Amino acid sequence: MKSSRATRARRGSERLRLAAGRVLLLAAIVAAWEGGARAGVIDPYFVSRPSKLAHTVAGWFAGGFIYPHIWATVQEAVIGLAVGILGGVLVGMLFAFFPFLSGLFHPLMVVFNATPRIALAPLFIVWLGIGLASKVAMVVSLVFFIIFFSTYAGLRDVDVNLINHVRVMGGTRRDLMRHVLLPSALTWIFASLRACVGFAVIGAIIGEYLGADRGIGWIVQYGESMFDSNMVISGLLVLMVFVATLDGSLGWLERRFSHWKQKPL
Amino acid sequence: MIVVDRVTRTFETPAGEFTAVRDVSFRVAPGRFVSLVGPSGCGKTTLLGLIAGLIPLTEGRVLLGDRPVTDGVPPDIGYLFQRDALLPWKTALQNVALPLTIRGRPTGETRARATEWLRRVGLAGFETYYPHQLSGGMRKRVSLATTLIYGPPVLLMDEPFSALDVQTRNLMENELLDLWADTRNTVLFITHDLEEAIALSDEVIVLTAGPGRVKASYPIPLPRPRNVVEIRFREEFTRLYEQIWKDLRDEVQQSYARSTRI
Repeated sequence: MKSSRATRARRGSERLRLAAGRVLLLAAIVAAWEGGARAGVIDPYFVSRPSKLAHTVAGWFAGGFIYPHIWATVQEAVIGLAVGILGGVLVGMLFAFFPFLSGLFHPLMVVFNATPRIALAPLFIVWLGIGLASKVAMVVSLVFFIIFFSTYAGLRDVDVNLINHVRVMGGTRRDLMRHVLLPSALTWIFASLRACVGFAVIGAIIGEYLGADRGIGWIVQYGESMFDSNMVISGLLVLMVFVATLDGSLGWLERRFSHWKQKPL
Repeated sequence: MIVVDRVTRTFETPAGEFTAVRDVSFRVAPGRFVSLVGPSGCGKTTLLGLIAGLIPLTEGRVLLGDRPVTDGVPPDIGYLFQRDALLPWKTALQNVALPLTIRGRPTGETRARATEWLRRVGLAGFETYYPHQLSGGMRKRVSLATTLIYGPPVLLMDEPFSALDVQTRNLMENELLDLWADTRNTVLFITHDLEEAIALSDEVIVLTAGPGRVKASYPIPLPRPRNVVEIRFREEFTRLYEQIWKDLRDEVQQSYARSTRI
């Protein structure tokens, strides 16, 4: 126990040093940027200045300009994520349990998955307009395939030994589903969930770039059309904080639900 | 009672038809502990799979009690696999409780009995551990408790201790005999280790190199209760070992010759 306490203390101090280092690194970058821009080494017309960016972003939040845009992006990403996950899980299960279906659709799925989804965006806008629906479709087209392949693999690649183990102790098909197949699929789905959230935001932002009247992507795109790099970068900053928060909370969720897994050494 | 009656199993492989076991017949009387020994690749695991209804028969029949094994897994058999098959997302307690959960027993009773069985296999205090947090020997104990908790009259064991180190293995063998002295299931135990087979069993059946057929069967008249380590020092043990080994040796050599032929 004593040694474990010592190890913990050492780990704690290591973490502290790392955190301090990260803050310093960030401060150094910001200082160099600000200094460089003020000294005329880099042109603030293209890269703006941290103090100016901070002023813009703070103004957005204080004046309430930013909230409807964040809300729009969140809505698109969340609805798309929900639909994509639900659809992916359902179709993944269908294909895993009915090999004929899977065989029938396999080439189609591969081709669709290999198509760059950005190429589909104009089509979504033509079909669904520049509102919410086209962005949701964009997000779904990205998320669906990730979840579909995870669910399918999770159900197909279950250790036969585990299945036999539960069959021999008297397990019915329902028991197999509940105690073996679903938990196995869930671990795969959870493993890809984080990637999905990233893709959901990408999908929403790309959708907004290509035709929208609100959203974080729209701000960036609008700034670009005005040649206002300050606005573009401010929009990107909001986006970065937004994605980091989302990813952090997902990482926390993931750790909570994979407590039975062996930690890598 | 297990009756295996002229059982044959062939598999289709890319290289053509492959016969894993051919025309195998034997029976295990109720409450007896019988071991099957044979060289690797003689179809031992296939035979257990056939009895457990996990693999369909090609020819012959298998009876458990007076019921033929025809369609799927027969009720109330226990099977201890060579690789442990604990569900990684369940704790030790949840794993041991699973057969009762599946049978729809009340939660309170299930918990109490699973806790009691963990204690019986020496794992009191490990209820909330996940399989990856347990050693190989501990996982085997959990598997054993999982198999015994629902009291299956027939117990099939496929080289359950082969992956353990010698000391742990001897401990587990003794524990198995102690538990079995209480439960008295009909046991069919597969091993390639002749010493283990003799030390544990009432009868040892020798299979030929693949396709497996029954070569000979030897009753083991050693007294019980036994200690699997100390029983090896007895003269009778050595005599039995020599006698059975003569049979087994030819099969092992044949199997080895086959596996090294290129």
